[in-house]
Amino acid sequence: MAEPQTELGPGHGEYKTPGGKMVVADLTVEQGTLQQIVVSGDFFLYPEETLTLITNALTGQPADASREALAAAVDAAVPPDAELFGFSAEAVAIAVRRALGHDLRTEDAAADPNAGSAA
Amino acid sequence: MSTSTPETPPTSATYPAAADERWAAHTWQIIAETPVAPAMNLALDEVLTKAVGRGTRGPTLRVWGWAAPCVVLGRFQSVRNEVHEDKAEELGVQLVRRISGGGAMFIEPGLAITWSLHVPPTFVEGLSFGESYALLDSWAVRGLRSLGVDAWYAPLNDITSSGGKIGGAAQARRFGAVLHHTTMAYDMSMQNMLQVLRIGQEKLSDKGVRSADRRVGPLRQQTQMPREEIIQHMLEQFSTLAPSVPGAVTAEEWAEAETLVAEKFATSAWTKLLP
Repeated sequence: MAEPQTELGPGHGEYKTPGGKMVVADLTVEQGTLQQIVVSGDFFLYPEETLTLITNALTGQPADASREALAAAVDAAVPPDAELFGFSAEAVAIAVRRALGHDLRTEDAAADPNAGSAA
Repeated sequence: MSTSTPETPPTSATYPAAADERWAAHTWQIIAETPVAPAMNLALDEVLTKAVGRGTRGPTLRVWGWAAPCVVLGRFQSVRNEVHEDKAEELGVQLVRRISGGGAMFIEPGLAITWSLHVPPTFVEGLSFGESYALLDSWAVRGLRSLGVDAWYAPLNDITSSGGKIGGAAQARRFGAVLHHTTMAYDMSMQNMLQVLRIGQEKLSDKGVRSADRRVGPLRQQTQMPREEIIQHMLEQFSTLAPSVPGAVTAEEWAEAETLVAEKFATSAWTKLLP
């Protein structure tokens, strides 16, 4: 088990969508895959149970997955009638990538603030 | 949607069409402030939303009373990422979780003004999330303006003013109804808040936004009025917009809320839902 190091501590990543809300990812890496994932933050998500679907979709993803691949996995898990308000699938992907030690600088991250927003 | 907190009041762009008609279409119940335990406030929120959802109660505005200091976590926040639990315990600050998303609030009795609106889904029909926040905060913005506070709704979920940020709102859409609750700062006790809440760098990262809303403009400072007078005045303004009658939590609702406190809101299974 290899725990990545980031400036925020191993397995912990945060990303705040500009003008939007914070997404926090806490996770471990086991045998090259993402495990024990907790996605949290001050975002709004309807219905609330969608968070479990997002967490399940990320679990088992390769630890070297690209931001695009992680965002696609989250997108695929979110039902069409669910609403993400203040964040996006890409914001979740960036928080996860940061927990793995990538995309730490703001200019590397920069998710589209409107992606996935209901309004 | 705007991606930054405006420095000046927005035009009617975020104010939904036919807003006045929506407010006027119902007779509202106003439930006055009664101090209760933090977990009870959250249970009442759920019970009154359910009652509106099943039609046993009409649209309702409840002013919260706080019997104890607390941190109210948003539905999706993790305890350890938001709170110094040891400090909270040391200072006698309770930890509770609400059913709506959004950020942690640090509450001290007498320093916050909080209310909930419980409305049927038809009240926000046809509106985006952003528009529904603007609509459900609009009575408060109007009330604040009548007190001489230059207030406006700022996306995504803030009430701000030329004198600084005033408060924030959160919505839950559950139980066949919409819950919209807002907390405003009457006064600030930064010292305790900064000891209890974890406020990281990432939260302050989009500086264009934070520069505006990091500055807080508590209502005591902006109005020089006692807290109770502000609430009274705002409720009077509410009644000019929305026909309303004095209301109360019924005995059945009260009992249901007490059960919910015991079975949900006072349990660590709920409070530490995201540890």
